[in-house]
Amino acid sequence: MTDANALNQASCPRVVVLSLASDFGCQIQITNFPELLAMVGTIDLSYWQLATSADMPDSYDVAVIEGAVTLDEHVRLLQQVRKTAGVVIAIGACAVTGGVPGLVGTGDLDTARDLVYGEDATIVKQHRLVPAPVSSVIEVDYRVPGCPIDPAEFSALLQQALLGARERLDRTPLCAACQTIENPCFWLRGKACLGLVTRTGCGALCLSRDRACTGCRGIAADANLESARRYLREGGFDVKAFDKALEVYNTYEVNEVARS
Amino acid sequence: MTKLNIHHIARIEGHGNVAVEVKNGRLTKVQMQAIEPARFFEAMVKGRTIDEVPIIVSRICGICSPNHTVTSIQALEDAIGLSVSRRTEQLRYLLVYGSYLCNHASHLYLLSGPDFLGLPSVFPLAETAPEVVSRALSLKKLGNDVITAVGGRPVHPVSAVVGGFTDEPSRNHLRRLAARLRAAVREAAATVELFASFDIPEYEPEHEMLALKSEGTYAITRGEVAALRAGWTRPARDYHEFIHETPVASGNAKFSQTDGAPFMAAAIARVNINWAELTPSARVAAAGAGLRAVVRNPFLNNLCQAIEMVDACERCAALCEELAESDGDSKPRDWTVAKAAGGAGATEAPRGTLYHSYRVSKAGKVTAGDVITPTAQNLACLEADLHAFAARITDADPEEFKLRIEQLVRAYDPCLSCAVH
Repeated sequence: MTDANALNQASCPRVVVLSLASDFGCQIQITNFPELLAMVGTIDLSYWQLATSADMPDSYDVAVIEGAVTLDEHVRLLQQVRKTAGVVIAIGACAVTGGVPGLVGTGDLDTARDLVYGEDATIVKQHRLVPAPVSSVIEVDYRVPGCPIDPAEFSALLQQALLGARERLDRTPLCAACQTIENPCFWLRGKACLGLVTRTGCGALCLSRDRACTGCRGIAADANLESARRYLREGGFDVKAFDKALEVYNTYEVNEVARS
Repeated sequence: MTKLNIHHIARIEGHGNVAVEVKNGRLTKVQMQAIEPARFFEAMVKGRTIDEVPIIVSRICGICSPNHTVTSIQALEDAIGLSVSRRTEQLRYLLVYGSYLCNHASHLYLLSGPDFLGLPSVFPLAETAPEVVSRALSLKKLGNDVITAVGGRPVHPVSAVVGGFTDEPSRNHLRRLAARLRAAVREAAATVELFASFDIPEYEPEHEMLALKSEGTYAITRGEVAALRAGWTRPARDYHEFIHETPVASGNAKFSQTDGAPFMAAAIARVNINWAELTPSARVAAAGAGLRAVVRNPFLNNLCQAIEMVDACERCAALCEELAESDGDSKPRDWTVAKAAGGAGATEAPRGTLYHSYRVSKAGKVTAGDVITPTAQNLACLEADLHAFAARITDADPEEFKLRIEQLVRAYDPCLSCAVH
C-alpha cells in the first residue's frame, strides 16, 4: 500500500450499518436526514443493507448497530464486529435498552411463540434469547438513545466519534428540561409521565405535543427510582402502573435490577 | 443441479432470502424466506393498557408506523364503541396518505430504482443525475413534513391517540403544506414518466387482488374490502373470515390466502380497484404511462406506486386546504370501557391492506391482539410469482437471473419486519 492510499483510508473511515431485531425505523431516520448524505464524501459508507446491494466488507472502522439482540446469530455477529471495528455505535432504543422488542421478556418466550404461531409450529428455528441491548454482549463505544433516534443527534455523534471524542450521554432525567420549556406537567394534571426518570436529550418532543413521556431514551443514570416511587405513593398515584409503564422500553433493565 | 441462494436481499426492509433450485433445466424449488427474527408483538400487547398498545405496535415497522398507529387506534375504538370527529378522520387520512409520499419515493428511488439503472445503490446517481436524486429527496421530505405536521415526527407519530389528536398543525402550516403539495404534483408525475420508461418483463399472472374501497374517495383509512376478480365486497372487520394466515416452515412470516389461493394487496391492487376514484392528474399520468385497468403485471406495482404519489399530492393538498379553512375539533374524546369486547380495523398501508384486531377487558386492558400485515398477505403470491417467473428465465446467465429475481422481489416492495413482527 502506498502512503497516499494509507492517508486516503485514514481520512475516509469505512462505516457499516447493521441491524438486529428492530423495525428499521432508525435506519429510516438516517435516510430522513439529507445532511448525512453530504457526509458520504467524508466517510466510506461501504455497507448498508437497506440502501445498497454491495456485500459486507471484511474490514471496517465504524459499525453502526440498530436492533436488539434476540438470536445466537446476533451474538456471533456482534463478537465479530467488535473484533473488526475500532468504533461501535449502538443506535435506537432496541440497541441501547432492548427497547420494545424487550417487552416480550416480561413473560416466557415459548409461551409468546406458541401464542403467535400455535403450539405445534416448528417455524422459529433460530435459537432465541431474551431480548437484550447490544452492550450486554460487547463493549459499546457510543450510544444514540430514543425510539426512533433523532437523525441530527446521530449525525453529530458520528462526527464526534470519527474525531475520537468521548461519549457524553445525558445523565439527568427529562423533567428539568421539560419544565424549562414550560410544558404543563402531566403529574400535576393527575396523569402518569415517565419523564420523571427517563434520560433527557429529546427536547421533550412528545410532551410538547401533549403526550406523556413513555421512556424511550432509557432510565437516566441519575434517576432515583426509589425516590420517584415514594413521591408517587405519597401523591396517591398507582406505583404498580408506573412500574408496568416502565417496561415498554426498559424491561431488560427492570429485570436486571430485579435479579441483582 | 444449480442452486441459487440470495442471502439477505439488499434494498428491502428487513431480512429475507430467496432459495432457488434448478435440476436438469427444471425449476424444483423456489422459496421466499422471511428470516427476520420474530418479535412476538401479539404476545407483547397482552395485558397492556389501551393507550399503550398503539405506541407498542407502531414499532412493528419504522416505515409504515403511521399505519400501525392509526389501524390499532381504530381497532381499539371499534372495541370500546368510540366514534371520532370528522376532523380526526381527515387528519388520520392525511397522516397515512401523506406517508405514501416518503414511502413510495424511498422505495422507487432508493430501493428499486437502482435495479433499472444497473446500479448497486442510489449514491452514484448523485453525481450522474443530481436532478433525479434531488427530486427523490424532495418528495420524500414532503411526505415526512406532512407526517411531522400531523403526527409530530416522521417515524412513530406521537399525537394520534384513541379518540383523536393531542395536537394538530396550525391553519397556516396546513396552507403552506397545501401549496407545496400542489407544486409537487409535477415532480410526482415526472416519477411516473421515469418508471414508465423502464423496460419490464412481460408477465401477466391472474392473481386475486384485495384493497379497501369506499365510494367517493381513494380508500385509505376506511372502507370495505373489495376482491377484484371474485367481485365480492366485505366489511373489513370480518377479515378473519376471508383472510387465512398459516405458519410456514421456510420462514418466520405466515403466508395468507383468500378463497383458497394467494392474492396481492398493494398499490397495484388499489389502483385497479379504485381506478375510477383517481384524481384528474393521476389519471392523466396513468394514461401518459400507457396504463389501463386491469393491471396484472406485478413489475408494474412500482409504476402504480408512482401514480399514487400523484394522487396523494393532489388529494392531500385539497385535504390540507379544507382542514385549514374548516372548523371542527380533533381533541381526543373521552372514553370508558363499558364491557369486555373485541374490535377490528383496517387501513391501506403503502404496501397493501393492514388489519389489526384486539380484545379488551372491562378493566381496560388488552387481552388479545392480532395483526395481518400487507407483506404477510403478499408473500405467498410473491413466492408463486417467483416460481412462475423463474421458470421462464432458467436459461439466463446467473448474474442476470439473480438480478431479475431480486427485481421481482423489490417490485413487491416487501417489508419483512412487518411480515414477521
